[in-house]
Amino acid sequence: MKRRLFYAALLVGLALVFSFALGSDLAVRAAERPTLAAISQGLTCQCGCGLTVANCNHPTCSFSVPVREQIESMIGQGKSGAQIIAFYRQKYGEKILSAPTTEGFNIVAWVMPFLVVVLGGAVIIYTAKRWRSLPAAGGTSAESSPESDSPQFDAELKDRLAHEIREHT
Amino acid sequence: MSQLGSLALLVALLLAVYSIGANLYGARRQRADFLASARHALWAMCALITLAVIALWSGLLSSDFSLEYVAGYSSTTLPTPYKFAALWGGQQGSLLFWTWLLSIFTSIAVFQNRRRNPEIAPYAAAVLALVAVFFLGMLNFVTRPFDTLSLVPGEGTDLNPLLQNYWMAIHPPSLYTGYVSSTVPFAFGAAALITGKLDDSWIRSTRRWAIFSWFFLTLGNMFGARWAYEVLGWGGYWAWDPVENAAFMPWLVMTAYLHSVMIQERKDMLKVWNLALIGLAFALTIFGTFITRSGVISSVHSFTQSGLGPYFLSFLILVVVAYSGLLIFRSGELRSPAEFESYLSREAAFLFNNLVLVGIAFAVFWGTIFPVLSEAVRGVKITVGPPFFNQVNGPLALALIFLMGVGPLIAWRRTTPRNLIQSFAAPASLGLAGGLLAFAFHIRAWYVLAALSVAAFVMGTIIVEFRRGVSARRHMIGEAPATALVNLVAKNNRRYGGYIIHIGVVFAFVGIVGSAFFKTEVKKTVNVGQSFAVGPYRLQYLGVLPIDTPHLESATANLVVTRDGHEVAQMAPAKLFYKRQQQPATKVAIRSTPFADLYVVLAGLDDSGRQATFEVFLTPLVFWLWGGGLLMVLGTVVVMWPNVRERAAIAVALRAAADSPMVGEPAPGGD
Repeated sequence: MKRRLFYAALLVGLALVFSFALGSDLAVRAAERPTLAAISQGLTCQCGCGLTVANCNHPTCSFSVPVREQIESMIGQGKSGAQIIAFYRQKYGEKILSAPTTEGFNIVAWVMPFLVVVLGGAVIIYTAKRWRSLPAAGGTSAESSPESDSPQFDAELKDRLAHEIREHT
Repeated sequence: MSQLGSLALLVALLLAVYSIGANLYGARRQRADFLASARHALWAMCALITLAVIALWSGLLSSDFSLEYVAGYSSTTLPTPYKFAALWGGQQGSLLFWTWLLSIFTSIAVFQNRRRNPEIAPYAAAVLALVAVFFLGMLNFVTRPFDTLSLVPGEGTDLNPLLQNYWMAIHPPSLYTGYVSSTVPFAFGAAALITGKLDDSWIRSTRRWAIFSWFFLTLGNMFGARWAYEVLGWGGYWAWDPVENAAFMPWLVMTAYLHSVMIQERKDMLKVWNLALIGLAFALTIFGTFITRSGVISSVHSFTQSGLGPYFLSFLILVVVAYSGLLIFRSGELRSPAEFESYLSREAAFLFNNLVLVGIAFAVFWGTIFPVLSEAVRGVKITVGPPFFNQVNGPLALALIFLMGVGPLIAWRRTTPRNLIQSFAAPASLGLAGGLLAFAFHIRAWYVLAALSVAAFVMGTIIVEFRRGVSARRHMIGEAPATALVNLVAKNNRRYGGYIIHIGVVFAFVGIVGSAFFKTEVKKTVNVGQSFAVGPYRLQYLGVLPIDTPHLESATANLVVTRDGHEVAQMAPAKLFYKRQQQPATKVAIRSTPFADLYVVLAGLDDSGRQATFEVFLTPLVFWLWGGGLLMVLGTVVVMWPNVRERAAIAVALRAAADSPMVGEPAPGGD
């Protein structure tokens, strides 16, 4: 049982690493891809709409419209996505970034959702382990269950169909 | 009318208070006369709130600007359908609308249970009345829809232009219906906890309410996304705005609940978890209302800051503390003889599906409140926007879709590895084929390859399930394939309707992946007669048509779209200017095909109209997001379709539960 628990924990751990790697990969690609859409999605509009510079829907917004033009001009000058984002961060502070940085307290923002899923997984595994150690309420062992020995769907389907046929006759 | 509306709301409040007392007294003393009186009070409450709604609609339709609400959210030139929609366009009106829906659902639930569930129904009615008391209290004393102005203006301020769209007319009612109807299963769950009648009769009695709520939450979210897509003009449909998140979280939790109750119905397990989920779903609807109306978290959807925040927060805390207290109090009685044999079982797949759904809900909640937390801890206000939510939820969504495929493949209790390999072979091959096909089409982003493979795998599992069912019917009953398919769905509507919903989810997932990863954007300034290319299309600007009405000014550009030299469409994006609110807006033009949407925004126009700037998005596969949404709706209708066998099973289970108040054998469950 301990070995199984170990493997389950290992699987969850791997899933966590996988998820984080995936997330970071997406983040890196978004920052490095110097397109107006990707960069303006990384900045928050300061007009009060609460949306990103890419999504601000005010046709004559005094912030997002000039910033989008400025970003296009910087892309034209050959600046990378990370450079452009750093420029705006320096100018307006952290609040302009549309996602928390991966520094200091902000790390909590990134880690917590995955931590909750991992802890939840651990609770499921622990509870399931406890349930498995209880005697089966129905008194039917798994080995003698028709569902587990024969192809399960055929048994279920046959059951349902037999029920329907009984109803019709 | 305003006095009539105010009086109706006041009497409705008194009736709701009376109903709580009469229900509780009647239930404790077993006085049928008091219980009947409590029911009548709730029906009268509903009638009075209806009267108040009619009074406000009457004010909106007759442009009675002596009412502060009408002056603030309507005008004489506002088109009539939007005068109706203005009921939920502002703070007070939308709260009245919410309360009205609550009173209607309360009346229906009370009527349905007038002879059923005698032990828990009065307590459920008392909980529903308690929720109504809170909302009626707000409408009577805090944010009154019938306040009048001493100086009556000649004209109203008008409805926010963003809300003057047909999707807006149906998005909030759908969402509110979803939110409010979740109160019914919550009330029955709370009643089960109060009375200690903890078998699954409360779940069976409210299963349709839970599906109904999920159905409207799905519609509300889909309509909201479509509204954003058509109105906001940025080519997207979901911005992870706090209010969007507030609508998404209850949907996630209700989805988890609808799956986990199957385990309780089938195996008599997860009683605490199901009660916790329905409590959480209801609490999240109140949390969503708190976010929209408190101004604590800035959002594009927020109503003006109103000082309602503390009331909603107090109510939320009351709900969470009281419900959690009841759960803890009853925790000993909620233990059931759990049967869990293997991780390779459908129970395990459902448990992990619940984990991921609640995990996503938590991630969304966490991202929504983190700015407040950051400000409290560091004193620095930060923003948590789309990049965070996409990166955190991307892998979780992939895991969820994968589990959606795994669930139907494995049996209840346990599956042998041999059977698992047999069941997995065909869908896994389809998944691999899907990935290879995408690779052959030069897709190299590995998340996209994984997502498309998983989507193909899930489709494979559903096809296998339908094929098995049809094949069994053909061999055992001798039906023709088409008849077998129809009968399979009709006679097992709950199971196969669920699969139709799963197909919808896969389609929507593919649409989201396609539109998120392969969208292209072109911005061009052209003169009349000039053209420019966007992907395989060429767009030629033919000129502009100005229109001036008392309500708005508009300039509509005319574009002809060709592909390989052949005309495929004429498109007409426009710039609008709403006169009353002095606010500009855009009207996008969309040409939708299963392959890609061509989405054109008129971004700028010179005074003569000769030169125009267009922002054009070519978004692949977004069509499938809406198609998937429609399938989810269709699947839910199939699930909810009355099924004589199921009704009989419910009646038997309810009778058995009524005969024996103790927790008994697991009742016959559906799939």
